[in-house]
Amino acid sequence: MNYVPGTASLIDDIDKKHLVLLRDGRTLIGYLRSIDQFANLVFHQTVERIHVGKKFGDIPRGIFIVRGENVVLLGEIDVEKPCDTVLQQVSIEEILEEQRLQQQTKQETEKVKMQVLKDRGLSIPKADNLDEY
Amino acid sequence: MFRFQSLDEDCTLEEEDEGLVEEEDEIDQFNDDTFGAGAIDDDWQEEHKRLAELDERDELAAGLGLGGGGLGGEPDLGGTQHSSSSSSSRLPPSAGCLPLPSSLPPLGFSSSSSKLPPPDVEDRPGDGDLAESLARLILEADPAIAGVGAAERPGPPPGSSGSTLPGLHGLDQPRVLQQTPSIPHQHPHHPKLPPGPSASGPPPSSMLSYQQQQHLMRRGTAPMGQVNSHSIWENSMGFGPVSVTPGLVTHMEDSPLMSIIKEVGLPKRPPQGRNDEGRDLSERVPPPRASSPVIGSPPVRAVPIGTPPKQPMSHALNHQIHHPTAVHVRAPVQHRYPAPFPERLSPNTLLNIANSPLCRGPFPPRVGPVLSQIQRAQLLNSQVAGFPRGGPGPPLLPGGGGFRPFFGGPPPPHGHRMGPPPPHGPPNHTPPIRHNTTHLHPQHRRMLTQRMQSRGGDRGRTGGDRRSRDPYSNLMTQKEKEWVTKIQMMQLQSTDPYLDDYYYQNYYEKMEKRQERERDSSKKEHTTKLITPQVAKVEHTYRPVQFAGSLGKLTVSSVNNPRKMIDAVVTTRTDDEEKREKQVWNKRRQILYTVEKMYSLLLEVQDFEKRFVQTPEEDRDALVEQHKTNTEQLCSSLREKEWDDRVSDEQCVMIMSVRKGKRLISRLLPFLPSPQAAAVVMAIARNLPALAKKDKQDQVLCWLVEPVSTVIQSLSSSSLTDLLQELQGNEGQLATVLHNKFGVTLLYLILSEGERMQSSDPNCQLMDDNRWTELVFSVTRELLSVPSSSLSPPLFTPPNLLSLFSRYVDRQRLELLQDKLQMSTLSR
Repeated sequence: MNYVPGTASLIDDIDKKHLVLLRDGRTLIGYLRSIDQFANLVFHQTVERIHVGKKFGDIPRGIFIVRGENVVLLGEIDVEKPCDTVLQQVSIEEILEEQRLQQQTKQETEKVKMQVLKDRGLSIPKADNLDEY
Repeated sequence: MFRFQSLDEDCTLEEEDEGLVEEEDEIDQFNDDTFGAGAIDDDWQEEHKRLAELDERDELAAGLGLGGGGLGGEPDLGGTQHSSSSSSSRLPPSAGCLPLPSSLPPLGFSSSSSKLPPPDVEDRPGDGDLAESLARLILEADPAIAGVGAAERPGPPPGSSGSTLPGLHGLDQPRVLQQTPSIPHQHPHHPKLPPGPSASGPPPSSMLSYQQQQHLMRRGTAPMGQVNSHSIWENSMGFGPVSVTPGLVTHMEDSPLMSIIKEVGLPKRPPQGRNDEGRDLSERVPPPRASSPVIGSPPVRAVPIGTPPKQPMSHALNHQIHHPTAVHVRAPVQHRYPAPFPERLSPNTLLNIANSPLCRGPFPPRVGPVLSQIQRAQLLNSQVAGFPRGGPGPPLLPGGGGFRPFFGGPPPPHGHRMGPPPPHGPPNHTPPIRHNTTHLHPQHRRMLTQRMQSRGGDRGRTGGDRRSRDPYSNLMTQKEKEWVTKIQMMQLQSTDPYLDDYYYQNYYEKMEKRQERERDSSKKEHTTKLITPQVAKVEHTYRPVQFAGSLGKLTVSSVNNPRKMIDAVVTTRTDDEEKREKQVWNKRRQILYTVEKMYSLLLEVQDFEKRFVQTPEEDRDALVEQHKTNTEQLCSSLREKEWDDRVSDEQCVMIMSVRKGKRLISRLLPFLPSPQAAAVVMAIARNLPALAKKDKQDQVLCWLVEPVSTVIQSLSSSSLTDLLQELQGNEGQLATVLHNKFGVTLLYLILSEGERMQSSDPNCQLMDDNRWTELVFSVTRELLSVPSSSLSPPLFTPPNLLSLFSRYVDRQRLELLQDKLQMSTLSR
C-alpha cells in the first residue's frame, strides 16, 4: 500500500517471514529480502518444509532465489500468532525417510494400476508434472 | 589522475623502434644493442628461425599495427637476451597495440600486458579491434601455436611474473624479460598478481570473453554516458574517448567489470589532451552493424528498463582515481589499424570463451571497497537500532581492508566515505510518504487515505520494532523498492482507460452515482463527472525507416522491427468441391463472423455515451454522426438481404443459434428502434420451438427475458395480440413453449402486459377484436391440459395473472389454474 497505492505489491512484504509454495510442490519458509518486477523472490534463512501425513520436517537451506514464474502462492507468516497445529515436527532424517516411503508406495500403486490397465488393454498416458501444455 | 608512464609518447605507433626509449635502464640497454651498432653474436640460423616464428605470430597479429615496420626494423638478432629483447622491443608496439586489459591481472594477462610500454590509452581504434586483437592473442595462446617457440625460450621468468601463462610462452618471455627492468616501480603491484595469473588456463579465455562481452555489449547498445571509472576503464580498453559523466548509470556496473575493478584498481588515466592529436576519429567508431537494434528502432534507452538501480559505487572509484600512488598497470598501446571482427573464431568458441567468466562466478573472493549490500543494510540497521557502532562499524572494515594491497597506504578515503551513512535514512522514521495517486479515481483515493490512516498507527510501531531486531533487514534499498514500484506503475499506464481498465472505471462510476443518488436526491441536476486523468497518450508507434526511392526492402531489421520476409497477399479461394460438413461449418463460421462484427458495432454504440462526455465540444458532432452510422449498420445487419425494411427472421434465428448471438441480441434490443425491436421479439416468439431446441445445451435464452420484457411493455395492444398469436403459432407450439422456461416466462409477460393494459386503461383496444380473448382462452386451455410436470417453471410469475384469468375463466378453472401456477412457482 505504501508504494503503489491502489494496487497490490510485494514491497510491503519485504523482510517478513513468508511461506511460498513452488510449482514443483516444495514448500519454503523464509524471510523475503528482495523482489523484482517479475516477482523473483530472494529468501533468507530459508527452510524447506516437507510434509508427510501429520508429520513435517524442516531442512535449513540458507538463501534461496526463486524465479517468479515458479511460484504458486506466497503468504506472510504471522510470527506472533499462536501456532496451534496438529502437525508434529520430526527430525530431518525421519521426514525424509517418510517421504521416501510415501514416494515408494505411490510408485508401487501406480505400477500396479498401470499393470492392471495394461492387462485390460488400456493405457493412461502419464501426465508430466512439469509440463502444463 | 593516474600516472602514466612516459612510454606513452613512444606508443604513437611509429614503426621506428628508435622511438621506444624506455625509462628503465635495462631496456635502454637492450635498445642500444638491438638497433644500430649492437652486434649480437648468435647463431644466425637460430635467430632466423626465431624470427620466422615471430613473423608467423606477427602475421597473425597483422592487424595489430605491426605492419612491416616492426619486422623490418630488426637488423640482426643477437643472443637470447637480445633476440628476445629485440623481439620484445618490437613486440611492445604490436603487443601494446593489443588493447589488452592491462588492468585485468587476476586474469593472468597482466604479466604480458603490463610489461608493455604504457600505451597511449586515448588512442584506441575501437572495441572491434580490441576484441579482435584479443582473439588473436588467444589463438596465439593456444599451446599448439605458441608451443612452437616455447621450447627455445629459456628465459627465467622474473619473480612476479613467475606464474606466466604457459600458453603465452612465446610472447610472454620476451616481454617478461623486458618487464623486469621496469619492475622497480611496479613491484608493489605485482606481488599481488600471482593469485590471478596462477589460474592460467581460464584467464586468457575469460579475459577475452570479458573483452568480447564488452565488445558485444558495446555494439548492441547506444553510446552511453559512463561513470568516471568506467570511462577510464573503457578508454584504456580502446573504446575511444567518451564523455565522462560522473554518476551516470551504466548497465555494466553489475558485470564482472566491477568486481575486477574492485580487485585490481583502475589503470592510469592518460591525459585527455592526446585525444585530438592526429587521430582519425573514425577509427574509434565501431563498425556499424547491419542489423543494429538502434537503427530503425524507437529510441533506445541508455539504461534498459529492467536495470536495477545503480549501487552507490562511484564515490569509491573516484577515490581510487584520485589516489596518487595508484595502480602501476600499463594500459596497452593503441592499436592503429582497426580490423574487422575475427572470422576465425567460430560462434562456438566464442560462446565457450564468453561463458567462462560466468562459470567462474562474477565475484572474486575479495570484497571491494564499496559497501556491499549486507554492509549497507547493517549500517542502516545500526542506525535504526539506535546504538552507534563507532563510525563505519567493524563489519565494514573487511571490505576496505581487502583493497589495501592495491593501494600504497591505508584506505582512509574509504573509511571517510563509509562514515556518512547511505542516503536512505531509516525507513521507519521517514515522514509519511506522499504518494502519487493522481492515476486513481478520486473516490478510490479517498478510500485509500482513510484506510491508510486507520492502519498507520498500529502497524508502525510493531514493524519498526521487529525490523530493528533483524540484522538482515533493509537489504533491499529504498531506491530499489522505488525502482520496482516504478516498473509496476509503468505497467499500469494506459492511454485508453476504458479499454485497459474497464471494470475499475465502471465500478467507481457506479459507486459515485450511487453515492450521489443517496446523498442528494433533492438536487435535480446530475452532472456526470469526468473520470480521473490518466496518463497522457503517448504515441509509441514505431515507424520503420523508409527511404524514398529505394529499391526493394530495407535491410535494417532488429528485434523492434523485424523485416517482412514474405509479401503475403490475401486471395479468396474458390472452392469447387462442397462437402456438406464443410458447408455446415462454413455457415457456422459465417454466423460467428456476423456475430462478431455486430458485437463490435454494438460495443461502440454502447460506449458512445461515455465517449460523448469525454470528447471536447468540437469533436462531438463527428461522434454523433458516427454513432448514427453505427446504429444504422446494426439495424441493417438484422435485415434481410432482399427486403430492406423488414427484420429478417432467418437472420435472427441464425444469430440466435449461437450462444454469443443470443447474448448479442439481448444487449442489442435496447438500442434498436422500437418497430425493429418489436419485430425481433416477434421473430423470437415465432421461432421459439426451434430456438428452444437449439438452446437445450446452453440454456441461455433466459438472458433475453429482461430486454424482451422491456420491449413488450412498449408494445401496442395490437402488436401484443400479434405477439401472443405468434407465440401460439401452429398446433402444438404452445405446448412446446410451455415446456421451455423462457417460453413460459414470455407467455406470462405477454399476459401480464395485456392485463396491465386492460386494468389501467379502460379504453384499451385489447378487447376490440376477439383475438385477445380467444388467445387467452386457448392459453388457459393449454395450461390446464398440460401436465404439471412438463410445465416449466418460469423465471418469475407476474402477480396480475390471476386477475387476468379471473376475467376469462370460471371459478373452478381459475382454482385449477391457480394451483397449477402455484405449483409451478413452488417447484422452482
